[in-house]
Amino acid sequence: MTIELARKLEELLGKEKVLSSESDRLCYSYDATPLVSHLPEVVVRASTEEDVHAVLEAAAKEGATVTPRGSGTGLSGGSVPVNGGIVLLTTGMNRILDVDADDLSVTVEPGVITSDLHAAVEAKGLFYPPDPGSMKISTIGGNVAENSGGLRAMKYGITGDYVLALETYFVDGSKVRYGTKCVKDVAGYNLTKFLVGTEGTIGIFTKITLRLVPKPQSKKTILALYDDLLAAGRTVSAIVSRKVIPSTLELMDDVTIACVEEYAKIGLPRDAAALLLIETDGHPEVVREEGAKIEEACRENGARSVRMAKDAAESTELFTARRMALAALARVKPTTILEDITVPRPAIPEMMAAIREAAKKYSLRMGTFGHAGDGNLHPTCLTDERDKEEILRVEAAYDEIFRKAISLGGTISGEHGTGMAKSKYLPMMVGPKAVEVMARIKGVFDPQGRLNPGKIFRTEAR
Amino acid sequence: MTRMGVAPDLSTLREAFSTLDVHDYGDVLQCMRCGFCLPTCPTYRTDGVETQSPRGRVAMIKAVVDGRMDPTEEFAEHMYHCLDCRNCHTVCPAGVKAGELVLEARHRIEEHRPQGAVKRFFLEYAVRDQRRLSRLLAPARFYRRTGIQTLVRKYDLLKAVSAGLSHLEAMMPDIPPRPLTETIPEEIPADGKEKGRVGFFLGCAMNLLYPEASRATAWLLSRAGYTVVIPRAQQCCGAPNIEEGERRVYREMAGHNVDLFLGKRVDFVVTDCAACGNELKSYGKLLSGRERSSRYGNVFSEKVRDVSEFLSRALGPEVPLGPLEEEVCFHDPCHLCHAQGITAPPRELLRRIPGLRLSEVPDAGQCCGSAGVYSITHADRSMKILAAKVEAIGKTGARTVVSSNPGCLLQLEYARRRFGTNWEVVHISQILRRSLARGEEKGGRE
Repeated sequence: MTIELARKLEELLGKEKVLSSESDRLCYSYDATPLVSHLPEVVVRASTEEDVHAVLEAAAKEGATVTPRGSGTGLSGGSVPVNGGIVLLTTGMNRILDVDADDLSVTVEPGVITSDLHAAVEAKGLFYPPDPGSMKISTIGGNVAENSGGLRAMKYGITGDYVLALETYFVDGSKVRYGTKCVKDVAGYNLTKFLVGTEGTIGIFTKITLRLVPKPQSKKTILALYDDLLAAGRTVSAIVSRKVIPSTLELMDDVTIACVEEYAKIGLPRDAAALLLIETDGHPEVVREEGAKIEEACRENGARSVRMAKDAAESTELFTARRMALAALARVKPTTILEDITVPRPAIPEMMAAIREAAKKYSLRMGTFGHAGDGNLHPTCLTDERDKEEILRVEAAYDEIFRKAISLGGTISGEHGTGMAKSKYLPMMVGPKAVEVMARIKGVFDPQGRLNPGKIFRTEAR
Repeated sequence: MTRMGVAPDLSTLREAFSTLDVHDYGDVLQCMRCGFCLPTCPTYRTDGVETQSPRGRVAMIKAVVDGRMDPTEEFAEHMYHCLDCRNCHTVCPAGVKAGELVLEARHRIEEHRPQGAVKRFFLEYAVRDQRRLSRLLAPARFYRRTGIQTLVRKYDLLKAVSAGLSHLEAMMPDIPPRPLTETIPEEIPADGKEKGRVGFFLGCAMNLLYPEASRATAWLLSRAGYTVVIPRAQQCCGAPNIEEGERRVYREMAGHNVDLFLGKRVDFVVTDCAACGNELKSYGKLLSGRERSSRYGNVFSEKVRDVSEFLSRALGPEVPLGPLEEEVCFHDPCHLCHAQGITAPPRELLRRIPGLRLSEVPDAGQCCGSAGVYSITHADRSMKILAAKVEAIGKTGARTVVSSNPGCLLQLEYARRRFGTNWEVVHISQILRRSLARGEEKGGRE
């Protein structure tokens, strides 16, 4: 089957767009999700909309499954071809079609790299706020499919808040264009809102129109250190209650701080219990005023030290600790498992305590950092995949963490998606009826379950 | 061009990979597959496929070590697609050294398959002696001197024979009549009061192709107050051997160099070739526990300094750098910025030259595509990488491109013939010498 399918695709699209050797297949069997992989039968590099259409038609004829893939940086297994079949790469469709400075929008193909888009619009004084951690290589198509977040979500929202229009191919080869550049557009069901975050299970985007905002004129960065994690948590609420919405409000716990200092030696006190990195942006006057309010909130809530950057260079310096967080944690042990829960802001201290408890109970090394401003936390387990017994403990600990997040009114995934990694917890999270509704919707678009199978909906035991 | 001789015996190769030691395997496991290495990898940038990325290479090595994939010819080819630029080492959050893993894989492949005669001649014989290498260049010197080259280039004579050969001929640089080792004394006294003794490690390519740049290096070291020791018996640093998976002769040469330089009681070993610098700094690690000299490997490696790294400290404020009104940019050799982590010292030195305007290349840290023999073995991709570099340098408006690695100098000079660029390419020692000479002229010295 493999060879035959590959040969048919080669005839259709040309040899250079079809990859099917052993090493090609191996290298498209994974994304950035730990512990999951599956070999595809064949990989196709689409460079035009017509290619996407041709692949879908061929797959329909052959009954093959299709898994769309951008740069493969997802953290929920969204682009892992669990049933084999075809991996459809959209990285070759990487044109920025139109930056509309008059109407504050940009239209791109799905393979455009997120930070390339940032550069293109910022050159015109415009701003596309979503900044997922992998933005230097992640694609816009992947961002829309996963509804990615980032550091600026608290003030600016996430990918889905910026999608205006989508051109989407469904698995049968049909195409729908929905959405306009208009801010107000209520024609029928909002298919754009619906398609965002469907993780490649409903359709493949071939053209994406995004909303832009003016680029903020200035910003101010503040770094606060704490002897007590709860005090840091209280500060988050104190800032918000002062009617300030920072553009970035990041938290790091003691384990993360210690690992960063061990690795980068940037002068952080190793005995600090927590760190908050806060940034506010906008008009210089507003930024100055908000900066003062933030500083006050930090001090009144027991910060051990507060440092405000005087210029861009110092701001970059203050960001160093946060930028190093993942790297520092990832070096400690061979396997790094990064999780992604979100809780309402006031519940952050309780959630942090629960994470700590779970780590202690299961004797695990876990560091937590995340976007405290929007309640999105990344408890990160430092482990070794060769130690099967420890991996079981990791799973048990995360199980408890997910349950706690749900009980606090939070969610099992803030920005990484459900994919393979979280499908087990989806019914617990949204209830069986909601899963059933989702499955019915999926059935309408893809009755044979050929588009990105094995994601969101749990089929059988892992 | 096929670089592989006979296909390796799969079962012995499988075995060879199953023993990848615990340390290296830990390095393999350390990869989180986050993909942060993709945007800076030159081959991923040109080819856009995962097999041409560090993450993909690590995945392939892991699959072979785990026995899920055979170390086939295709696998071997993938290991040789890597330029060994080490950009992935710089950006990897988890500290995976994908480039070094690739070299380890090449070593295991080459140990278990028969080696071609040309390769053996070069890696096991020629590189051991600078005079042998120099004699090998005699036909090339003859070819140029007699004007045959002019004819060949004028009428594109080689195109008819083979495109590959024609490319090879086109890349051929000017070859100076005599290597530096034949014209420079083995010891140059310090200028003024001696601050210390420096062993000057002369890379093969610098010695044969850029003797004037290395002469400038020796001159600068002496001006900086150091006695410069240039042992004629030095052998190749072994980088070509490591790149091709050869480690037996590598260790012998490394041991020889360690003994030779330590025997001269030098305080530092300085080189003006970034690739040599990286290799010499690796002796401590690669010789560990294997040869007699091994215990001295670390001692030696700790003395090694790149020329810019050394001069940025050694050239004191009393050294009168004279003005040069030039627009320049610095091209970071991969084995300097990624393998040795040196980016600031060459810039600091250049900024000290009055009048010199230094601009940054927009894609600083990207390889120029030279990468040892890569520009010959993987000519198409190498040229694509060079084209991107030419475009990036073009944006700086620089008239002079400064670098500090012979491979980069060759490749950037070739850009003139290939892409019609009009910048001058110089080694950092040459521009420093120019400035210092100007300064001393003004100061009334000499």
